[in-house]
Amino acid sequence: MAALGSLDKLSSTAGLVSLCLLAVLPVLVGGSYLVGVLTVAAIYGIWAVSWDFMSGLTGRENFGHSLFIGVGAYAAGFLNVQMGLGPWWSLPASMVLASFFGLLLGFPTLRLKGPYFALAMLSAAVIMQRLMLIFWEYTGGEEGIQDITPLIKNHLHYYWFVLCVLGLTTWLFAWLARSRWGLILRAIKGDEATCMAAGLPITTYKIISLIISAAFAGLGGALYAHYQLQVSPQLFAVVTSITIITMVYVGGIGTIFGPVGGALLLTLMTEGLRNFGEWRLMIYSVLLILILFYLPNGVVAPIWKKIRAMLTSSVQGTGAQRPTDKATGEA
Amino acid sequence: MSDYLLDVKQINKRFGGLHAVRDVNLQVRRGEIVGILGPNGAGKTTLFNLLTGFIPPDEGTVNFQGRSIRGLKPHKIVNLGVARTFQLCRPFVGMSVIENVLVGSLGPRVSDVDLGARAMHLLSEVGLAEKADTPSELLSYGDLRRLEIARALATDPELLLLDEPFAGLGSAEIESISALIRKLHAEKNLTILLIEHKLREFMQLVSRVVALDFGEVIAEGVPAEIVSHPRVIEAYIGKQTPEALA
Repeated sequence: MAALGSLDKLSSTAGLVSLCLLAVLPVLVGGSYLVGVLTVAAIYGIWAVSWDFMSGLTGRENFGHSLFIGVGAYAAGFLNVQMGLGPWWSLPASMVLASFFGLLLGFPTLRLKGPYFALAMLSAAVIMQRLMLIFWEYTGGEEGIQDITPLIKNHLHYYWFVLCVLGLTTWLFAWLARSRWGLILRAIKGDEATCMAAGLPITTYKIISLIISAAFAGLGGALYAHYQLQVSPQLFAVVTSITIITMVYVGGIGTIFGPVGGALLLTLMTEGLRNFGEWRLMIYSVLLILILFYLPNGVVAPIWKKIRAMLTSSVQGTGAQRPTDKATGEA
Repeated sequence: MSDYLLDVKQINKRFGGLHAVRDVNLQVRRGEIVGILGPNGAGKTTLFNLLTGFIPPDEGTVNFQGRSIRGLKPHKIVNLGVARTFQLCRPFVGMSVIENVLVGSLGPRVSDVDLGARAMHLLSEVGLAEKADTPSELLSYGDLRRLEIARALATDPELLLLDEPFAGLGSAEIESISALIRKLHAEKNLTILLIEHKLREFMQLVSRVVALDFGEVIAEGVPAEIVSHPRVIEAYIGKQTPEALA
């Protein structure tokens, strides 16, 4: 049964292999600079995959993902610095607080039709950024919160930890997307009225999906706060949300694995183009425009689809002698 | 408690100055196939939307199995056992045929463990089994109708509302969809309410007809009575003679 099946083994294996390669890359190449870049890339991966789960699958584009990121990061900073709690508290606290904001915003906004959900989320993120300045006694205003304790002192070890979180998050979302939950979210993207005619409470599904998406954006925010060791209102900036959405489109919207690849690709591309000096932004933008213009399904997911098709056909060629294996694999 | 499966009394809906549905009464007994007849703009689809919760009525009562379903959300009504199809087929774009049917079986009414096998069975009932993995947007119009019906059946309904099941179909397809509706009625003990204005097949299919014009019930009875009813002829067919209808 293709529709409600488990994760396909090939994609999971490929994901795991890519994670291992990413883990050993800084060991082989060396340089603390690369570790930093890859840590940020992995955190962007968490943000992109959490965005894709809600917005990619349902087609309701969230232009305020930075709100959940900021809430998670500030939760980490506030608990760690102002309240003096140990840094590990940040992870559950950021998820809980970001989920709460997901509920708070999803409840009124996900009933809206058309572009209004996107606009409402965008405005909410802008408002939160202002609120950080207004309540400066608690949030540190423009300066933000400094001197956050690192979760793990060794940068390479912290990078590995973030990679593990990225792997688990992606696996969770991929599993959810393949479950009946994912099927319903894709159906919502297809036609809301038909979903209602199928007996599904679509608003509930959308709100819960936004809550899950927000929780992991918040977790990524906390990881980012403990990497930068400070938080500032800039975290809520709309440009962060736009960057994430771009990564998802480059990766392949609605494919879960794709956006993670998109996040890694674009972060590394930004860094790789540093040699071009002032031309960097222009080259980056032109590449982006070309990708979005000529490859509307993204880059990462379609390439993987082709590789997979090649692998499957070669496996089927050799697998003819082992019919039992195939039968159990498809059961 | 009434002995009707569906009991609609004095239902009204206005859109601004337009009185789209006016004081409509409609009773459907278990096991009947009832047809709603009327020219374009008579308020047939609005009536369906009122019954299925897509539009809230202004006045009136809607009882299903003796309990009021007026004002309930569409998904709640579906989960009580009232399924519908749409006049314009609305498949889930980007999903395969079987996935479309599966979505219909994810509500609380269906407790079947093997949903995949159930969906496949429904597809074979409507004659789409061999197209299970086809993307739904590649289906022909007739197959889309079958898919609509399969998806409605997936919710395990007691009452099935079909909104113009023959619209846009050729005569061969009309014949086979008509046979399908008859088969479902006989085999699944389904009660069916359908809207149509393709007279010939419609009249052969239904046991009772409610004729609407300008949002009002103008006649009610068995098909033979309806086709010779002067108000129906006037409103719906103009100056044609009743013989031309049969």
